[in-house]
Amino acid sequence: MSAARLPPPRAPDLAALIRAESARLAAACTACGACVGACPMVPTLPAVAAAAPETVAAGMRAVLRGEAQAAPAGSVAWIGACTRSGLCTAACPERLDAAYMMRLAGMRLRGALGAGEEGGPPRLPAREDPGWSARVKAFARLTLTEEEQARWL
Amino acid sequence: MAVTPPPPADPAPERVVFWFGCNIARHGEIVRLATRMLEAVGIEPAPAGGPSYCCGSPKEANARIAGGMARRTMEAFNAMGRDTVVTWCPSCHMNMDDFMAPATEAAFATAHISEVLHARRDRLAPLLRHRVAARRALPHLHHGFNGRVPVNALVPDLLRLIPGLEVPDHPCRAPGHMCSALAGVPGALAAAQRALLAAAEETGADALVTIFHSCHRETVSLERGRPGLRVVNWIHLLAESMGLAYRDDYKAWRNAPDPREAVGPDRLAAAGETAFERLVEPELRRPPPV
Ligand code: SF4
Repeated sequence: MSAARLPPPRAPDLAALIRAESARLAAACTACGACVGACPMVPTLPAVAAAAPETVAAGMRAVLRGEAQAAPAGSVAWIGACTRSGLCTAACPERLDAAYMMRLAGMRLRGALGAGEEGGPPRLPAREDPGWSARVKAFARLTLTEEEQARWL
Repeated sequence: MAVTPPPPADPAPERVVFWFGCNIARHGEIVRLATRMLEAVGIEPAPAGGPSYCCGSPKEANARIAGGMARRTMEAFNAMGRDTVVTWCPSCHMNMDDFMAPATEAAFATAHISEVLHARRDRLAPLLRHRVAARRALPHLHHGFNGRVPVNALVPDLLRLIPGLEVPDHPCRAPGHMCSALAGVPGALAAAQRALLAAAEETGADALVTIFHSCHRETVSLERGRPGLRVVNWIHLLAESMGLAYRDDYKAWRNAPDPREAVGPDRLAAAGETAFERLVEPELRRPPPV
Protein backbone atom coordinates (compact mmCIF):
# COMPACT_ATOMS: atom_id res chain seq x y z
CA MET A 1 0.00 0.00 0.00
CA SER A 2 1.24 3.51 -0.75
CA ALA A 3 1.15 4.57 2.88
CA ALA A 4 3.36 7.33 4.28
CA ARG A 5 5.15 6.80 7.59
CA LEU A 6 4.67 9.67 9.99
CA PRO A 7 7.77 11.35 11.42
CA PRO A 8 8.31 11.24 15.20
CA PRO A 9 6.71 13.97 17.35
CA ARG A 10 8.58 17.26 17.53
CA ALA A 11 6.66 18.82 20.44
CA PRO A 12 5.21 17.48 23.71
CA ASP A 13 1.72 18.85 23.07
CA LEU A 14 -0.32 20.92 20.63
CA ALA A 15 0.24 24.29 22.34
CA ALA A 16 4.02 23.74 22.32
CA LEU A 17 3.84 22.69 18.67
CA ILE A 18 1.90 25.85 17.71
CA ARG A 19 4.46 28.00 19.53
CA ALA A 20 7.50 26.27 18.03
CA GLU A 21 6.19 26.06 14.47
CA SER A 22 4.97 29.68 14.55
CA ALA A 23 8.42 30.89 15.61
CA ARG A 24 10.27 28.71 13.09
CA LEU A 25 8.15 29.81 10.13
CA ALA A 26 7.98 33.48 11.14
CA ALA A 27 11.78 33.56 11.28
CA ALA A 28 12.00 32.25 7.70
CA CYS A 29 9.24 34.47 6.23
CA THR A 30 10.39 37.60 4.38
CA ALA A 31 6.89 39.11 4.17
CA CYS A 32 7.28 39.34 0.41
CA GLY A 33 3.51 38.98 -0.09
CA ALA A 34 3.63 36.33 -2.84
CA CYS A 35 1.23 34.20 -0.79
CA VAL A 36 -1.26 37.08 -0.64
CA GLY A 37 -0.97 37.59 -4.39
CA ALA A 38 -1.74 33.91 -5.04
CA CYS A 39 -4.70 33.66 -2.66
CA PRO A 40 -8.06 33.05 -4.40
CA MET A 41 -9.94 34.54 -1.46
CA VAL A 42 -8.38 38.01 -1.73
CA PRO A 43 -10.82 39.17 -4.47
CA THR A 44 -13.66 38.50 -1.99
CA LEU A 45 -12.04 40.91 0.50
CA PRO A 46 -12.00 44.43 -1.05
CA ALA A 47 -9.98 45.99 1.80
CA VAL A 48 -7.32 43.28 1.52
CA ALA A 49 -7.23 43.49 -2.27
CA ALA A 50 -6.59 47.24 -1.99
CA ALA A 51 -3.75 46.85 0.56
CA ALA A 52 -0.10 46.17 -0.28
CA PRO A 53 0.45 42.37 -0.24
CA GLU A 54 3.66 42.88 1.74
CA THR A 55 1.74 44.66 4.51
CA VAL A 56 -0.91 41.94 4.66
CA ALA A 57 1.77 39.23 4.81
CA ALA A 58 3.73 41.12 7.46
CA GLY A 59 0.60 41.07 9.63
CA MET A 60 0.37 37.29 9.30
CA ARG A 61 4.03 37.05 10.27
CA ALA A 62 3.38 39.29 13.27
CA VAL A 63 0.69 36.91 14.50
CA LEU A 64 3.16 34.02 14.26
CA ARG A 65 5.68 36.10 16.20
CA GLY A 66 3.19 36.41 19.04
CA GLU A 67 2.23 39.99 18.16
CA ALA A 68 -1.40 39.32 17.28
CA GLN A 69 -2.65 42.61 18.71
CA ALA A 70 -0.33 44.55 16.38
CA ALA A 71 -1.48 42.85 13.16
CA PRO A 72 -3.45 45.18 10.83
CA ALA A 73 -7.17 44.49 10.44
CA GLY A 74 -6.64 43.51 6.78
CA SER A 75 -4.26 40.73 7.77
CA VAL A 76 -6.74 39.48 10.36
CA ALA A 77 -9.54 39.50 7.76
CA TRP A 78 -7.32 37.63 5.29
CA ILE A 79 -6.41 34.95 7.81
CA GLY A 80 -10.07 34.66 8.83
CA ALA A 81 -11.12 34.06 5.20
CA CYS A 82 -8.58 31.28 4.58
CA THR A 83 -10.27 28.25 2.98
CA ARG A 84 -7.07 26.17 2.71
CA SER A 85 -6.63 26.33 -1.06
CA GLY A 86 -2.89 25.85 -0.65
CA LEU A 87 -2.03 28.08 -3.62
CA CYS A 88 -0.03 30.26 -1.22
CA THR A 89 2.31 27.35 -0.46
CA ALA A 90 2.99 26.79 -4.14
CA ALA A 91 3.71 30.53 -4.58
CA CYS A 92 6.14 30.99 -1.67
CA PRO A 93 9.66 31.72 -2.98
CA GLU A 94 11.12 30.62 0.37
CA ARG A 95 9.43 27.23 -0.04
CA LEU A 96 7.54 27.70 3.20
CA ASP A 97 4.24 25.94 3.79
CA ALA A 98 2.30 29.20 3.77
CA ALA A 99 -1.03 27.35 4.10
CA TYR A 100 0.21 25.82 7.35
CA MET A 101 1.33 29.29 8.50
CA MET A 102 -2.17 30.59 7.82
CA ARG A 103 -3.64 27.71 9.81
CA LEU A 104 -1.34 28.41 12.74
CA ALA A 105 -2.12 32.13 12.56
CA GLY A 106 -5.86 31.40 12.43
CA MET A 107 -5.67 29.19 15.50
CA ARG A 108 -3.76 31.87 17.38
CA LEU A 109 -6.16 34.65 16.36
CA ARG A 110 -9.06 32.50 17.56
CA GLY A 111 -7.41 32.22 20.95
CA ALA A 112 -5.80 28.75 20.82
CA LEU A 113 -2.99 29.78 23.17
CA GLY A 114 -5.12 31.94 25.46
CA ALA A 115 -5.52 35.70 25.92
CA GLY A 116 -2.62 35.94 28.37
CA GLU A 117 -0.11 34.62 25.90
CA GLU A 118 -1.50 36.61 22.95
CA GLY A 119 -1.61 39.88 24.90
CA GLY A 120 -5.35 40.34 24.44
CA PRO A 121 -8.66 38.72 23.51
CA PRO A 122 -9.12 36.64 20.33
CA ARG A 123 -9.28 38.80 17.21
CA LEU A 124 -11.31 36.24 15.25
CA PRO A 125 -14.44 34.48 16.49
CA ALA A 126 -14.09 30.74 17.14
CA ARG A 127 -15.58 28.67 14.34
CA GLU A 128 -17.09 26.27 16.83
CA ASP A 129 -20.45 24.72 16.14
CA PRO A 130 -21.87 24.05 19.60
CA GLY A 131 -24.15 21.36 18.15
CA TRP A 132 -21.40 19.58 16.19
CA SER A 133 -21.08 16.40 18.24
CA ALA A 134 -24.83 15.99 18.81
CA ARG A 135 -25.51 16.70 15.12
CA VAL A 136 -23.01 14.09 13.95
CA LYS A 137 -24.58 11.54 16.28
CA ALA A 138 -28.12 12.44 15.15
CA PHE A 139 -27.15 11.95 11.49
CA ALA A 140 -25.39 8.70 12.40
CA ARG A 141 -28.63 7.42 13.94
CA LEU A 142 -30.39 8.30 10.67
CA THR A 143 -27.90 6.71 8.26
CA LEU A 144 -26.11 3.89 10.11
CA THR A 145 -27.56 0.71 11.55
CA GLU A 146 -27.40 0.22 15.31
CA GLU A 147 -24.72 -2.41 14.80
CA GLU A 148 -22.63 -0.06 12.62
CA GLN A 149 -22.96 2.69 15.22
CA ALA A 150 -21.84 0.31 17.96
CA ARG A 151 -18.84 -0.96 16.00
CA TRP A 152 -17.67 2.11 14.12
CA LEU A 153 -18.31 5.14 16.33
CA MET B 1 13.31 -30.91 -15.93
CA ALA B 2 12.25 -27.37 -15.07
CA VAL B 3 9.89 -27.19 -12.17
CA THR B 4 7.22 -24.54 -12.41
CA PRO B 5 6.95 -22.84 -9.04
CA PRO B 6 3.46 -22.81 -7.54
CA PRO B 7 1.61 -19.54 -8.02
CA PRO B 8 2.11 -17.21 -5.09
CA ALA B 9 -0.62 -17.52 -2.51
CA ASP B 10 -2.95 -14.57 -2.26
CA PRO B 11 -1.33 -12.44 0.45
CA ALA B 12 -3.20 -12.09 3.72
CA PRO B 13 -5.46 -9.06 3.56
CA GLU B 14 -3.79 -5.93 4.84
CA ARG B 15 -5.43 -4.87 8.11
CA VAL B 16 -6.07 -1.13 8.29
CA VAL B 17 -8.14 1.37 10.21
CA PHE B 18 -10.55 3.18 7.91
CA TRP B 19 -10.82 6.59 9.59
CA PHE B 20 -13.89 8.08 7.94
CA GLY B 21 -14.16 11.26 10.06
CA CYS B 22 -17.25 12.77 11.61
CA ASN B 23 -19.40 14.85 9.25
CA ILE B 24 -19.68 12.00 6.76
CA ALA B 25 -22.19 10.54 9.24
CA ARG B 26 -24.74 12.29 6.99
CA HIS B 27 -23.82 9.80 4.27
CA GLY B 28 -23.61 6.43 6.03
CA GLU B 29 -23.93 4.63 2.71
CA ILE B 30 -20.62 6.16 1.55
CA VAL B 31 -18.85 4.73 4.61
CA ARG B 32 -20.48 1.34 4.01
CA LEU B 33 -19.68 1.28 0.28
CA ALA B 34 -16.10 2.48 0.78
CA THR B 35 -15.59 -0.25 3.37
CA ARG B 36 -16.87 -2.88 0.94
CA MET B 37 -14.65 -1.46 -1.80
CA LEU B 38 -11.55 -1.71 0.38
CA GLU B 39 -12.49 -5.31 1.19
CA ALA B 40 -12.98 -6.04 -2.50
CA VAL B 41 -9.39 -5.03 -3.27
CA GLY B 42 -7.94 -7.25 -0.54
CA ILE B 43 -7.91 -4.99 2.51
CA GLU B 44 -9.44 -5.69 5.91
CA PRO B 45 -10.67 -2.30 7.15
CA ALA B 46 -11.82 -1.50 10.67
CA PRO B 47 -14.04 1.57 10.18
CA ALA B 48 -13.68 4.21 12.91
CA GLY B 49 -15.15 7.70 13.07
CA GLY B 50 -17.47 10.12 14.81
CA PRO B 51 -16.65 12.36 17.77
CA SER B 52 -14.79 9.53 19.58
CA TYR B 53 -12.10 9.64 16.88
CA CYS B 54 -11.93 13.41 16.53
CA CYS B 55 -8.90 15.13 15.02
CA GLY B 56 -9.43 18.07 17.40
CA SER B 57 -10.15 20.72 14.77
CA PRO B 58 -13.71 21.49 16.00
CA LYS B 59 -12.01 22.84 19.14
CA GLU B 60 -9.06 24.55 17.45
CA ALA B 61 -9.74 27.78 19.38
CA ASN B 62 -8.40 26.03 22.49
CA ALA B 63 -5.13 24.16 22.01
CA ARG B 64 -5.44 22.33 25.32
CA ILE B 65 -8.84 20.83 24.43
CA ALA B 66 -8.04 20.23 20.73
CA GLY B 67 -4.70 18.65 21.63
CA GLY B 68 -6.37 16.39 24.21
CA MET B 69 -8.96 15.18 21.70
CA ALA B 70 -6.27 14.56 19.09
CA ARG B 71 -4.11 12.63 21.56
CA ARG B 72 -7.03 10.42 22.59
CA THR B 73 -7.60 9.55 18.91
CA MET B 74 -3.89 8.82 18.33
CA GLU B 75 -3.82 6.52 21.34
CA ALA B 76 -6.96 4.73 20.15
CA PHE B 77 -5.40 4.13 16.72
CA ASN B 78 -2.12 2.97 18.27
CA ALA B 79 -4.09 0.52 20.44
CA MET B 80 -5.86 -0.92 17.38
CA GLY B 81 -2.51 -2.36 16.30
CA ARG B 82 -2.98 -1.86 12.55
CA ASP B 83 -0.14 -0.74 10.30
CA THR B 84 -2.04 1.86 8.36
CA VAL B 85 -4.78 4.39 8.97
CA VAL B 86 -6.65 4.97 5.71
CA THR B 87 -8.24 8.42 5.71
CA TRP B 88 -11.33 9.73 3.99
CA CYS B 89 -11.62 13.36 5.11
CA PRO B 90 -9.03 15.82 3.74
CA SER B 91 -9.28 17.86 6.92
CA CYS B 92 -8.57 14.82 9.14
CA HIS B 93 -5.72 13.78 6.82
CA MET B 94 -4.03 17.19 7.01
CA ASN B 95 -4.63 17.48 10.76
CA MET B 96 -2.94 14.13 11.25
CA ASP B 97 0.13 15.37 9.34
CA ASP B 98 0.19 18.90 10.76
CA PHE B 99 -0.96 18.68 14.37
CA MET B 100 -1.68 15.15 15.59
CA ALA B 101 1.40 13.09 14.72
CA PRO B 102 3.77 16.02 15.44
CA ALA B 103 2.55 15.97 19.07
CA THR B 104 1.86 12.25 19.71
CA GLU B 105 3.83 9.20 18.54
CA ALA B 106 2.05 7.34 15.73
CA ALA B 107 2.53 3.57 15.48
CA PHE B 108 1.04 3.57 11.97
CA ALA B 109 1.41 5.05 8.51
CA THR B 110 -1.35 6.94 6.70
CA ALA B 111 -2.79 6.88 3.20
CA HIS B 112 -5.83 8.52 1.68
CA ILE B 113 -8.49 6.15 0.36
CA SER B 114 -8.01 7.48 -3.18
CA GLU B 115 -4.33 6.47 -3.00
CA VAL B 116 -5.20 3.01 -1.71
CA LEU B 117 -7.82 2.26 -4.35
CA HIS B 118 -5.63 3.74 -7.08
CA ALA B 119 -2.65 1.62 -6.01
CA ARG B 120 -4.90 -1.44 -6.27
CA ARG B 121 -6.72 -0.45 -9.44
CA ASP B 122 -5.61 -3.67 -11.13
CA ARG B 123 -7.83 -5.46 -8.61
CA LEU B 124 -10.60 -2.87 -8.74
CA ALA B 125 -10.91 -2.63 -12.53
CA PRO B 126 -12.24 -6.16 -13.14
CA LEU B 127 -14.94 -5.55 -10.54
CA LEU B 128 -16.26 -2.50 -12.42
CA ARG B 129 -18.48 -4.49 -14.74
CA HIS B 130 -21.67 -2.46 -14.99
CA ARG B 131 -22.40 0.71 -16.88
CA VAL B 132 -23.64 3.52 -14.67
CA ALA B 133 -26.53 5.95 -15.03
CA ALA B 134 -24.31 8.70 -16.42
CA ARG B 135 -22.64 9.26 -19.76
CA ARG B 136 -20.20 12.06 -19.05
CA ALA B 137 -19.17 12.69 -15.45
CA LEU B 138 -17.40 15.90 -14.46
CA PRO B 139 -15.39 15.62 -11.23
CA HIS B 140 -15.89 18.50 -8.80
CA LEU B 141 -12.34 19.51 -7.84
CA HIS B 142 -10.79 21.92 -5.36
CA HIS B 143 -7.35 23.53 -5.28
CA GLY B 144 -6.60 22.49 -1.70
CA PHE B 145 -5.53 19.06 -0.42
CA ASN B 146 -4.38 18.17 -3.94
CA GLY B 147 -0.92 19.41 -2.90
CA ARG B 148 -0.86 16.70 -0.20
CA VAL B 149 -2.61 13.88 -2.03
CA PRO B 150 -3.13 14.22 -5.81
CA VAL B 151 -6.86 13.50 -5.59
CA ASN B 152 -7.53 15.62 -8.68
CA ALA B 153 -5.70 13.02 -10.76
CA LEU B 154 -6.36 9.85 -8.75
CA VAL B 155 -10.16 10.06 -8.60
CA PRO B 156 -10.69 10.87 -12.32
CA ASP B 157 -8.28 8.01 -13.12
CA LEU B 158 -10.42 5.61 -11.10
CA LEU B 159 -13.65 6.90 -12.65
CA ARG B 160 -12.17 6.26 -16.10
CA LEU B 161 -12.11 2.54 -15.25
CA ILE B 162 -15.93 2.49 -15.35
CA PRO B 163 -17.07 1.01 -18.66
CA GLY B 164 -18.61 3.50 -21.06
CA LEU B 165 -18.12 6.53 -18.81
CA GLU B 166 -16.46 9.67 -20.16
CA VAL B 167 -14.61 11.80 -17.63
CA PRO B 168 -13.78 15.18 -19.19
CA ASP B 169 -10.85 17.34 -18.11
CA HIS B 170 -11.84 20.86 -17.19
CA PRO B 171 -9.74 23.53 -15.47
CA CYS B 172 -12.52 24.46 -13.03
CA ARG B 173 -11.18 24.28 -9.46
CA ALA B 174 -13.05 25.62 -6.46
CA PRO B 175 -11.09 27.49 -3.80
CA GLY B 176 -10.49 25.77 -0.48
CA HIS B 177 -9.90 22.11 0.29
CA MET B 178 -13.60 21.20 0.30
CA CYS B 179 -16.91 23.02 0.15
CA SER B 180 -17.44 23.35 3.91
CA ALA B 181 -14.47 25.75 3.93
CA LEU B 182 -16.32 28.04 1.52
CA ALA B 183 -19.59 28.08 3.43
CA GLY B 184 -18.15 30.55 5.96
CA VAL B 185 -17.13 33.17 3.36
CA PRO B 186 -20.13 35.17 2.08
CA GLY B 187 -20.84 34.38 -1.56
CA ALA B 188 -17.92 31.97 -1.99
CA LEU B 189 -19.94 28.77 -2.13
CA ALA B 190 -22.49 30.22 -4.56
CA ALA B 191 -19.68 31.48 -6.83
CA ALA B 192 -18.01 28.05 -6.79
CA GLN B 193 -21.30 26.34 -7.64
CA ARG B 194 -21.99 28.71 -10.52
CA ALA B 195 -18.54 28.00 -11.91
CA LEU B 196 -19.16 24.26 -11.55
CA LEU B 197 -22.48 24.49 -13.39
CA ALA B 198 -20.80 26.47 -16.18
CA ALA B 199 -18.11 23.77 -16.44
CA ALA B 200 -20.81 21.09 -16.63
CA GLU B 201 -22.48 22.95 -19.45
CA GLU B 202 -19.20 23.49 -21.33
CA THR B 203 -18.28 19.81 -21.10
CA GLY B 204 -21.79 18.49 -21.75
CA ALA B 205 -21.66 16.57 -18.47
CA ASP B 206 -24.79 14.83 -17.24
CA ALA B 207 -23.26 14.08 -13.83
CA LEU B 208 -21.27 16.09 -11.30
CA VAL B 209 -19.03 13.87 -9.21
CA THR B 210 -18.15 15.07 -5.74
CA ILE B 211 -15.03 13.80 -4.03
CA PHE B 212 -15.55 14.79 -0.41
CA HIS B 213 -18.56 14.46 1.87
CA SER B 214 -18.93 18.18 2.58
CA CYS B 215 -18.93 18.90 -1.16
CA HIS B 216 -21.59 16.26 -1.63
CA ARG B 217 -23.69 17.75 1.13
CA GLU B 218 -23.47 21.24 -0.41
CA THR B 219 -23.82 20.18 -4.07
CA VAL B 220 -26.77 17.75 -4.10
CA SER B 221 -29.24 20.64 -4.26
CA LEU B 222 -27.95 21.47 -7.76
CA GLU B 223 -30.19 18.65 -8.99
CA ARG B 224 -33.25 20.77 -8.20
CA GLY B 225 -34.83 22.08 -11.38
CA ARG B 226 -32.12 20.42 -13.50
CA PRO B 227 -33.61 17.07 -14.52
CA GLY B 228 -30.71 16.26 -16.85
CA LEU B 229 -28.08 16.61 -14.14
CA ARG B 230 -27.12 14.04 -11.52
CA VAL B 231 -24.96 14.74 -8.46
CA VAL B 232 -23.12 11.66 -7.20
CA ASN B 233 -20.07 10.96 -5.10
CA TRP B 234 -17.16 9.10 -6.70
CA ILE B 235 -17.73 6.20 -4.29
CA HIS B 236 -21.38 6.00 -5.41
CA LEU B 237 -20.34 5.74 -9.07
CA LEU B 238 -17.69 3.08 -8.45
CA ALA B 239 -20.19 1.13 -6.31
CA GLU B 240 -22.81 1.37 -9.03
CA SER B 241 -20.35 -0.05 -11.52
CA MET B 242 -19.52 -2.88 -9.10
CA GLY B 243 -23.23 -3.68 -8.79
CA LEU B 244 -23.43 -2.65 -5.12
CA ALA B 245 -26.86 -1.37 -4.17
CA TYR B 246 -27.23 1.86 -2.21
CA ARG B 247 -29.55 4.79 -1.61
CA ASP B 248 -28.34 8.38 -1.35
CA ASP B 249 -30.72 9.25 1.47
CA TYR B 250 -29.19 12.63 2.26
CA LYS B 251 -29.78 13.81 -1.31
CA ALA B 252 -33.35 12.52 -1.25
CA TRP B 253 -34.08 14.27 2.06
CA ARG B 254 -32.37 17.53 1.10
CA ASN B 255 -34.23 17.80 -2.19
CA ALA B 256 -37.62 16.61 -0.92
CA PRO B 257 -40.43 19.20 -0.70
CA ASP B 258 -40.89 18.07 2.91
CA PRO B 259 -37.69 16.58 4.39
CA ARG B 260 -39.49 15.44 7.54
CA GLU B 261 -41.91 13.37 5.49
CA ALA B 262 -39.06 12.04 3.33
CA VAL B 263 -37.12 10.85 6.39
CA GLY B 264 -40.21 9.06 7.64
CA PRO B 265 -41.46 8.32 11.14
CA ASP B 266 -39.27 5.29 11.90
CA ARG B 267 -35.97 6.99 11.20
CA LEU B 268 -37.15 10.18 12.77
CA ALA B 269 -37.82 8.20 15.94
CA ALA B 270 -34.34 6.64 15.71
CA ALA B 271 -32.73 10.09 15.46
CA GLY B 272 -34.95 11.45 18.24
CA GLU B 273 -37.63 14.09 17.60
CA THR B 274 -35.83 16.86 19.47
CA ALA B 275 -32.46 16.14 17.89
CA PHE B 276 -34.04 15.99 14.44
CA GLU B 277 -35.91 19.23 14.90
CA ARG B 278 -32.98 21.12 16.39
CA LEU B 279 -29.93 19.68 14.60
CA VAL B 280 -31.01 18.01 11.36
CA GLU B 281 -34.13 19.64 9.97
CA PRO B 282 -32.77 23.22 9.70
CA GLU B 283 -29.88 21.96 7.57
CA LEU B 284 -32.17 19.93 5.30
CA ARG B 285 -34.49 22.91 4.84
CA ARG B 286 -31.76 25.52 4.28
CA PRO B 287 -32.18 27.34 0.94
CA PRO B 288 -29.63 26.10 -1.62
CA PRO B 289 -26.68 28.42 -2.36
CA VAL B 290 -27.74 28.84 -6.02
S1 SF4 C 1 5.19 33.92 0.19
FE1 SF4 C 1 6.34 32.84 1.80
S2 SF4 C 1 8.01 34.27 2.38
FE2 SF4 C 1 6.52 35.46 1.16
S3 SF4 C 1 5.16 36.37 2.75
FE3 SF4 C 1 4.18 34.45 2.12
S4 SF4 C 1 4.93 32.89 3.56
FE4 SF4 C 1 6.30 34.71 3.78
